[in-house]
Amino acid sequence: MKQIIRITIGLTISCLIAALLMGVVFTITAKAKKHNEHVQVQETMLDLLGYNGANPAPPDLKLHNIYRYILKDGRKKYLGYMIPVKEAGSLGYKLLIITLEGKFHELIDLSISPEKAIEAQERETALNEALQPPVTFTYADETAVAVTEGKRLAYLVRGEFQGFKTFITIMLAFDPNFRILGMEVMEHEEDPGLGGEIEEDYFEDQFKNKTFEKIKKLDVVKKPLPEEYRKYLEPKLRRTLTGEDLAKIRKMYQDADIYALTGATISSKAVTDGVKNATKKFAYRIEVLDSVIAEHRVAAAF
Amino acid sequence: MKDLRLHVIVVGLLLLGGMLLAGCGAEHRFIKKISFKGTNQIEIAFAGPVDEKWAKNVENYAVYEEPDPDILLNITDVNLAQGGKAVILTFESDLNQTQPHLVTLQDMMAEGRSMGTALLTVKKLYFGYLFSILLGAMIIKNFVFTKYLGLCVFFGTSQKKSTAVGMGITFTIVMIASAMMSWFLYQFVLKPYRLDFLQIIVFIGLVSLSVQAVDTILRKVNPALFKAFGVYLVLVIANCIILAVPLILANSEYNAWESLMLAVGAGTGFLIALFLMSSVRERLELANVPPTYRGLPIAFITAGLFALAFMGFSGMSIF
Amino acid sequence: MPVTKKTNKQLFFNGILMENPIFRLALSMCPAVGISTTVMNGVLLGIAVLFVQVFSSCTIAAIKDYIHPRIRIPTYTLTIATWVTIIDLVLAAYMPEAYKAMGIFVKLIVAFAIITMRLEMFAAKNPIIPSFWDAVGMGLGFMFGMMTLGFIRELLGAGTLLGHDILGVRPLLFFILPAAGFFCVGFIMALFNYVELVFKRMKEKKD
Repeated sequence: MKQIIRITIGLTISCLIAALLMGVVFTITAKAKKHNEHVQVQETMLDLLGYNGANPAPPDLKLHNIYRYILKDGRKKYLGYMIPVKEAGSLGYKLLIITLEGKFHELIDLSISPEKAIEAQERETALNEALQPPVTFTYADETAVAVTEGKRLAYLVRGEFQGFKTFITIMLAFDPNFRILGMEVMEHEEDPGLGGEIEEDYFEDQFKNKTFEKIKKLDVVKKPLPEEYRKYLEPKLRRTLTGEDLAKIRKMYQDADIYALTGATISSKAVTDGVKNATKKFAYRIEVLDSVIAEHRVAAAF
Repeated sequence: MKDLRLHVIVVGLLLLGGMLLAGCGAEHRFIKKISFKGTNQIEIAFAGPVDEKWAKNVENYAVYEEPDPDILLNITDVNLAQGGKAVILTFESDLNQTQPHLVTLQDMMAEGRSMGTALLTVKKLYFGYLFSILLGAMIIKNFVFTKYLGLCVFFGTSQKKSTAVGMGITFTIVMIASAMMSWFLYQFVLKPYRLDFLQIIVFIGLVSLSVQAVDTILRKVNPALFKAFGVYLVLVIANCIILAVPLILANSEYNAWESLMLAVGAGTGFLIALFLMSSVRERLELANVPPTYRGLPIAFITAGLFALAFMGFSGMSIF
Repeated sequence: MPVTKKTNKQLFFNGILMENPIFRLALSMCPAVGISTTVMNGVLLGIAVLFVQVFSSCTIAAIKDYIHPRIRIPTYTLTIATWVTIIDLVLAAYMPEAYKAMGIFVKLIVAFAIITMRLEMFAAKNPIIPSFWDAVGMGLGFMFGMMTLGFIRELLGAGTLLGHDILGVRPLLFFILPAAGFFCVGFIMALFNYVELVFKRMKEKKD
């Protein structure tokens, strides 16, 4: 009996020591983990806009994050946009509540700074303070608006949709007229060599420079990628083309449909449809948001 | 024994019925059923015939996907069916059936009287979703051939059909027990207290506990069974799958039913893999294999061929 | 097995060649098949396993006198689980891309039979320094095995090595596919068998 007690005590103590050790490591690494995540997302965004090591972003470029929530008040639903606003020279956040039909409903102050707003946990606390029950909220998505020299440079939108196997997450960059500046596949679980090719430049860059009108009708074409187009798309082969050729190819394939990947038609179609839907939804929503902001003279930072 | 079987069948049927109904989402007394039809249609069945004038007016319907309440889907056509007791809405583009859709029927008019406004949810049968998880874990995402887990034990026990089946069954039992306990602990202890990093240690602890529990229970309840399967219990702990399943269900935030399906699927999938492999290996024993390949090397190559075959299932979705 | 008579250096090489965990002992094959698609993956997982193996061995060797014989397996499991959680957290925080490439396998290190067996067979009976070298040997053996597989698969499947384009084309896409992992391990095992057979024949000829 005594032995069993000794064993149990010994085991419990060891478990506690182990748990303590892990807890310490967890708290230390959790901060680093979050920081890395955000840095990575920001780097992808800048990369999509065309800024990298050789071509750094202008110093006054700011990425403003807009967070969209769906608010529920009994049976009624509203859209809540957490937007950055400029007041008295500094940036703060306000919650702009819009009805489903696109009309202004309410504007609430939020006590959260832009640095803290990156964390989902902090946003939730701020929203809980600002909204009284029975109003509940669920997170929908977030968009980044790149602003430089007081004007909007680009929108950065995320899309998530079903691919061939599981979900595919993409990041799209638009200019203010909803022309695609770039598309990057962030996460996917497609087969390597087949659906996994959606990560490659020669697929992603096909979406570049497509106008809004073309995106709405974008389709997938099951034909092999023309050789000259491939040369234009792959960065390594691009160098073999002259400036003239580049301009010619760009013009020719400006309004072409997306060439499907060999052996991965479903993945190609999934990405194309995902891009189409994300673009249409975003264009609609940002128009509504802009009109409400303009009507009520909200001092938005973008 | 027969009584028990009858009870099990009845309970099973009740559960099935419950799950089937769970997908219907009809919350209004006048609506009998609402469901997806084809790729771009929704069919609504009423308890009685509706006024044609009300039904044909597109303005009376508002349909949107649950996560996008501000974006109403475009209805191109409305048709009456079943003598006026059902309405079929046709949409401009294919519906994304993986998302639940919310349908608002404004002020329904039937025989001149208003039946009120209904807010309904359409989604694919939950039962279908559960079944797809089961089938997925069993075949499409078979843990041995598609996810490459549990290989050590797999190669060790797949030499004869009897050992293979024994291992498979024992494993399934322990899998279900430990998966349910893991789900329980994850939902009610680890998640609320933000102790996610203790996942590994807790799950492996539960596995040892399950093995011990099954061991003791089997010893007392059915000694004959214990003699046949007991020796495999120890091997269960060394099996990667037994830890992978709780990790997956914690990661994907499955609920109790979904976890059960995953566990059953994983166990049965392992059993199927073992059975297939052992059938081949028994034959290989009698074949003329070059000396350097005898034993494990040829087993690996066989497994490779199986893996290639199972790749054919990838991307399949039934529901 | 009583306290080992091998020197530290012998222990070290033992782990890499004669008792190589993947090819000779046929243990911990899950990751060998699953993610040895690139050399980098192999190196990273190898480092993770090395870390866990070394720290677990040293911990157990240090406290072996206090472990009650009846609960030694749970104790090993507890130690391994702790160290695996720690390295899982560290990797997730400081090397997120690598962590994503390895997926669930980092967490599954705790189920690797090789580590538990090594603790049982060696660290529980030997002092810290020999345990350390044995663990290093085993860990490196594992890493070496993963790297070999990764080398073959990456070179033949993607034409790259460590991300650098070597061949410029993709010879046989088949090798990146997970199924090829089985084939490669099978062939390499056969190779090891063959080498052993040759050695045996040579020895027999000598006598």
